[in-house]
Amino acid sequence: MDHFPTNWGRPNYNTFDAHATYPLHVHPQPSSSADGVQHTQQPIVTGTSVLALKYKDGIMLAADNLASYGSLARFKGVQRLQAVGDYTIIGASGDMADFQYLQYILDNLIISEEINPQDGHKLGPSEVHEYLSQLLYARRSRMNPLWNSVLVGGFRDGQRFLAYVDLLGTTYKASTLATGYGAYIAQPLLRKAVEGKEDTLTEDEARKIMEDCLRVLFYRDARSINQYQIATISAAGASISGSLKLETSWGFAEGIRGYGGQTQ
Amino acid sequence: MPDMSVLAGPQQHQFNPYAENGGTILAIAGADFTVVAGDTRQSEGYSIQTRYAPKVFRLTDRAVLAVNGFAADGNMFVKKVKQRLEWYRHAHAKDMPLRAIARLIQTMLYAQRFFPYYVYNILGGIEEDGSGAVYSFDPVGSYEREACRAAGAAQSLVQPFLDNQIYFKNQTAAPGQSHPTHLPLSDVLSIVIDSFTSATERHIEVGDGLEIYIVLAKGRSLQGVEGLRGLREMSSREDGERVFVLQRELKKD
Amino acid sequence: MNSFATKFSPTDADIELRRAQEIAEEEGMSDVMWGSEAGFGNLVNGHAFNIPSVPDPSSFLRLHTDDHADPNCKIKIQHGTTTLAFRFQGGVIVAVDSRATAGSYIASGTVKKVIEINPYLLGTMAGGAADCQYWETYLGIQCRLHELRNKERISVAAASKYLSNLVYGYKGMGLSMGTMICGWDKTGPAVFYVDSDGTRLKGDLFSVGSGSTFAYGVLDQGYRWDLTDAEAQELGRRSIYAAGHRDAFSGNTCNLYHVKEDGWKFIGNYDITKMHYDGPGEVAGAPGGGYGYDVRTQGRFSALAPTVPA
Repeated sequence: MDHFPTNWGRPNYNTFDAHATYPLHVHPQPSSSADGVQHTQQPIVTGTSVLALKYKDGIMLAADNLASYGSLARFKGVQRLQAVGDYTIIGASGDMADFQYLQYILDNLIISEEINPQDGHKLGPSEVHEYLSQLLYARRSRMNPLWNSVLVGGFRDGQRFLAYVDLLGTTYKASTLATGYGAYIAQPLLRKAVEGKEDTLTEDEARKIMEDCLRVLFYRDARSINQYQIATISAAGASISGSLKLETSWGFAEGIRGYGGQTQ
Repeated sequence: MPDMSVLAGPQQHQFNPYAENGGTILAIAGADFTVVAGDTRQSEGYSIQTRYAPKVFRLTDRAVLAVNGFAADGNMFVKKVKQRLEWYRHAHAKDMPLRAIARLIQTMLYAQRFFPYYVYNILGGIEEDGSGAVYSFDPVGSYEREACRAAGAAQSLVQPFLDNQIYFKNQTAAPGQSHPTHLPLSDVLSIVIDSFTSATERHIEVGDGLEIYIVLAKGRSLQGVEGLRGLREMSSREDGERVFVLQRELKKD
Repeated sequence: MNSFATKFSPTDADIELRRAQEIAEEEGMSDVMWGSEAGFGNLVNGHAFNIPSVPDPSSFLRLHTDDHADPNCKIKIQHGTTTLAFRFQGGVIVAVDSRATAGSYIASGTVKKVIEINPYLLGTMAGGAADCQYWETYLGIQCRLHELRNKERISVAAASKYLSNLVYGYKGMGLSMGTMICGWDKTGPAVFYVDSDGTRLKGDLFSVGSGSTFAYGVLDQGYRWDLTDAEAQELGRRSIYAAGHRDAFSGNTCNLYHVKEDGWKFIGNYDITKMHYDGPGEVAGAPGGGYGYDVRTQGRFSALAPTVPA
């Protein structure tokens, strides 16, 4: 029996420390690089932030059109917003290959739900979100995650729906959501503009807020681009805009000191 | 000189299947009632993900479960406990007794001994003998019945306060008097609310909202409960144990 | 299952769902859970635990369960203990402390570290609290089945061997138990030490846990076979006090049990701080007064000389 309580409840250190020669609190950290198959991956071609908010008539989502390959702006015309069924739009950041796989799964899901039961029931946003959460949680539990953060926006039976799910299966709902860098840069702006005004914001106002947030992200997020799409889901159904160009002005950069190569 | 030899091998990033989502939960058992509470903030690192994500769930008319730790594991665990309780209802045509739910939770947690749910559970409710009870669990299923327990981010702030106010630790009774064994509901509710307002002041992961579940033993008068601001009844029948939720705001900074 | 082939094979929603169901079944969501299997359905059904699908599951567990060396580990398993049990003329004395620690935080001061397996068998808890609780409960089920099959109670030797064989099957996977299985059978009082390395020892006297050295110090010098019941109970109490006093990971209270021919009996719960200053109270075998030595040194040497009024 090992009488040191710090070692209890944990596997032996035999592989690393066969003769217990290390002092109690400085065991070598085990490296996890054992030989064999590793599902463990890292995202390769990635999309950055997705933003979403609640407004008077429904949910608005926004994402830019860039898929990066590391720091390389590799694909500049990628759509990261996707309608799922009649009542839902999802937006994804993270690995674009995994997102395409999710789209494929969801398309098949919608088709088989349409064809097989023939009962007229359709999947709404809460069902799509639940399905995605279960799928992503199951994959993380097999240590083979789908490397995405996904926003699910929807409108059905007069009810707005907005929720988040990520590669760990973590979920939450809020009236404004943002993934990736957007969680740090856009979310405070969104909260300030939206919280308490969810039932009065018009679509035009919401669009203005989104554009402002995307612009700030473009100024500061090196993995973003000035082309974006905005989607709305409301009583009128789902609509995803074409690719739009951000209006930017760099005059403010003149006054910035302290980050670049300026000497004074 | 740090040992650099570990860097010689191939560096690999292992996927970390866990996260820590903050928040705190708390439960106190009275003579014929139990109070189970949790804040509603969900965070990761310094970011608040949402200001309303419930951590306390009604299981039956006499059992309430609070979960804290990794939110995805917590939600999945609650879902599976509820499923097992429903199966029990179908098989036995009654609700599972509290002490049996406690043992069920132990075996469900222990089934994941080698890939644990990163969840601290506190189960509160009414036993078959009508007494209030709190069961607290570690992530792999060891459990104990207690009078009170705090868990989560601010456990180390709240539990000493509870030790003092509920167990009267480091307090001396006035000469010729003794400490009460059980506190009345109104005192317990004040202690719970004070615990959370204080934890909100001193812990960054606690705040936004407070949900307090109150479980009353069968036949106990509602005395004092019915007048509370922000109270909602959750019980499925009026002649058994009764469950109420009390919602309060906490500071949002 | 999570092979290269499945990853790139054509899939659709139905296949993904079927996979999710397979996972559910791996987690023991089987028909057996509808009825009652005493909550041990996952074992009764033959397949046991969900193992993370990584090349080295035990290094995964090591990575994520807590430790002083790495405070960032999220999953804290409760730790820290002093437990003891000894055999004497009047049966078996079992005494334990009640502290559980997670790092330097005292997670609980009211832990029941004596596990009542059945009216004739006790187990002690050192190491992983859940491992001890779960497997000793499971042992209780197997002991009852033994009674039903053989029309007689299981011997302490057999019960302890059942447990040691069981944990040996999980050797190296991170189970952590240091337990004493105590009872009375046809051979009289018996104590067996069983741990998660697979060690099983028969003996008269054992102490387990971080405070065991302190307990042994008191125990060894006070132990005799022909101790009276009162003396033996006092020795158990006094030993746990010594460990609680000197070991940071042990303390709070002492739980004392006595096993005799007609099964075990709970003797009492004693506050260790109270024992230091005031003694265990009105109990058989106690000398009266606190165990703390400051009581005995008071006034005996110059530094502590009582002030003499001038």
